[in-house]
Amino acid sequence: MTATTISPDNTAILSALGPSYGLPWLQQRRSDAMELFERIGLPPVTHEDWRLTNTAQIAKINFSAPGTGTPLTPEQLAGLCLKKLGAQQMVFVDGKFSPELSSPGGKVEILTIRQGMEKHADRVQRFLGREMPGQSNGFSAMNLAAFEDGAFIYLPPDQGDMGLVHLLWINASHDQPVVVHPRNLVIVGSNNQITLVQTYAGFSSHPAFCNAVTEMVVGKGAKVELIKLQRESDTAFHIANEAIHVHEHADVQSLCVNTGGHLVRNNMTVHLAEPFAQATLNGLTLAAGDQHIDNHTMLDHARENCPSHELYKHLLGGRAGAVFRGKILVRPDAQKTDSKQTSKTILLSDAAVMNSQPQLEIYADDVKCTHGSTTGPLDDEQLFYLRSRGVAAADAGALLTYAFARDVLLRIWHTGMREYLEEFVAAELHRLHLDQAES
Amino acid sequence: MALVEIKNLEAAVGGKPILKGIDLTINPGEVHAIMGPNGSGKSTLSSVLAGRETYTVTGGSVLFDGKDLLDLSPEERACEGLFMAFQYPVEIPGVTTSYFLKAAVNAIRKHHGQDELDAMDFLKMVKEKMALLEMDKTFLNRSVNEGFSGGEKKRNEIFQMAVLNPKFAILDETDSGLDIDALKIVANGVNALRSPERAILVVTHYQRLLDYIVPDFVHVLCDGRIVKSGGKELALELEKRGYAWLETAAA
Ligand SMILES: Nc1ncnc2c1ncn2[C@@H]1O[C@H](COP(=O)(O)OP(=O)(O)OP(=O)(O)O)[C@@H](O)[C@H]1O
Ligand SMILES: [Mg+2]
Repeated sequence: MTATTISPDNTAILSALGPSYGLPWLQQRRSDAMELFERIGLPPVTHEDWRLTNTAQIAKINFSAPGTGTPLTPEQLAGLCLKKLGAQQMVFVDGKFSPELSSPGGKVEILTIRQGMEKHADRVQRFLGREMPGQSNGFSAMNLAAFEDGAFIYLPPDQGDMGLVHLLWINASHDQPVVVHPRNLVIVGSNNQITLVQTYAGFSSHPAFCNAVTEMVVGKGAKVELIKLQRESDTAFHIANEAIHVHEHADVQSLCVNTGGHLVRNNMTVHLAEPFAQATLNGLTLAAGDQHIDNHTMLDHARENCPSHELYKHLLGGRAGAVFRGKILVRPDAQKTDSKQTSKTILLSDAAVMNSQPQLEIYADDVKCTHGSTTGPLDDEQLFYLRSRGVAAADAGALLTYAFARDVLLRIWHTGMREYLEEFVAAELHRLHLDQAES
Repeated sequence: MALVEIKNLEAAVGGKPILKGIDLTINPGEVHAIMGPNGSGKSTLSSVLAGRETYTVTGGSVLFDGKDLLDLSPEERACEGLFMAFQYPVEIPGVTTSYFLKAAVNAIRKHHGQDELDAMDFLKMVKEKMALLEMDKTFLNRSVNEGFSGGEKKRNEIFQMAVLNPKFAILDETDSGLDIDALKIVANGVNALRSPERAILVVTHYQRLLDYIVPDFVHVLCDGRIVKSGGKELALELEKRGYAWLETAAA
């Protein structure tokens, strides 16, 4: 069989360019991206980076732009909202900014990209599509061509601790498959500190396709925590391309939590562009049924003295499949790189499958790069130890999986978010164990 | 009535017979010691009694307090009052000792139809037992056995025993890895549990422990069988003569 070429269905996904707001440069980037997408289409499984995640399923579905969906209930919103943690919050429903649901006021000036194009025209023009250009893959091309709106955050230098910002993307329930292309652009000036949370949630029983792009620039000496919570509905397709450019002495920690989605792919690219920049990439995936969750990370060490750490953990039940592929590129100038990558997986059922691969490309000689990966069922000896003290088998299993997951959550810098996610993950694990018990 | 009645117990691992017919009766209030060469089956016997599924029971029976022990899951055995101190306690990263103990205590209470202990009462009880075993305060908030020294792990086993208050405790080489002071503290903890209703089975290689925890009976296990039983003087004799004279007797 030859590589999948674009089926006519693909054009249905990308039927029109997004608005250009009368900006010639944007018009140009969009049509270039469209042209590119029409040439390359969705990445085929014959593509080295997409071998383990088959996007043909997406091409088969006739997605349309979302009309008005079922209005969200207060309960649905309350479960997703982080206002109680004091977050400045921006809510997008079906890809459209919802001023009624948002509370963007606070220390940080949060705008929509559209507003950003008016207020910070030069910055948006300069950075939009710089870190995650259309050329990266068919999805990023499609996003650039079609995105409608998103968040634009610009933090001028030396503001200190800027608190918590939450970007909440919700797909409402629709009676047909819909597609949205969220796009966020975040520029953190030097010496700022901020926690940025992105939640992607959905309520539709028809497949929703979320094709997100987030670009971020982290200035000198800034400290940024980036948390993503992907809890789409279990019929959803979620593809996210994120890229972060990290300047000198800046420190970035990201956590990607996945509990939802039918087919999920997260691409996270970090450019450690200047000396003493550091990055920590953590991940936690809980999957069951026939969920497929794929995390690709790329740590690009361009300069010397940059440490990087990765810890991706997966708890898989049912027939779930997960992929972790961590690429570490150490360029010739990146001497004294200190990089550690770990992937750990617990398989809660015999039919669950994990595929974990490190990919090291090292062109400097004075570096330390380690990687390790473990996959297996719950530890028999630990289970027996707990049971021998009276703890019932099911509770012992739950205790061990929670401890496994919590290990990642304890690393979260923001106390409120740590507690919020501990509670969220405990509830999700409960659900996962119930699923296991039933199957 | 005997507390534990083991009759002709046989067990195998991976098809290989390890226990080849064990008979042992333990009455309430008694302390029994089991000694024997490496690989003779002492830990296998302990694990089989605790319910480890790696071992297959191929014959015989065990009555515990009148119940068919082999019919119970490991957690049911624990709830019924059986406790085994592991020869090699496992580390459980991410689960704090206090969380784990509370889960255990409350599981056992639930089994007996009692309410869960509230946080205050639990802490009070646990602190008393910590004092008994002279344990560091930070210990409760550390992950179970994680990063503990060999001796600390053993002491933790006896601490758990003190908290769970079993009717029948099996101590599998609890003395190995303990320094002299720790040995005394651990022995104290064990002796504090001695009572007319309880029984203890001590597995050890050394007479030294038996100076502190004085047994009523000593048994020698060789190649999956008890080849000799006697009083506490048997341990002294073994210390002098080793096992060779008994192994030949067994063959
Ligand atoms: N899980 C297992 N798989 C294979 N063989 C085992 C297993 N457990 C025990 N054995 C074997 O069973 C025999 C008895 O082992 P056991 O651990 O009961 O001895 P022990 O008397 O406790 O020895 P020690 O004094 O060294 O602790 C040994 O030959 C051992 O190798
Ligand atoms: Mg042993």
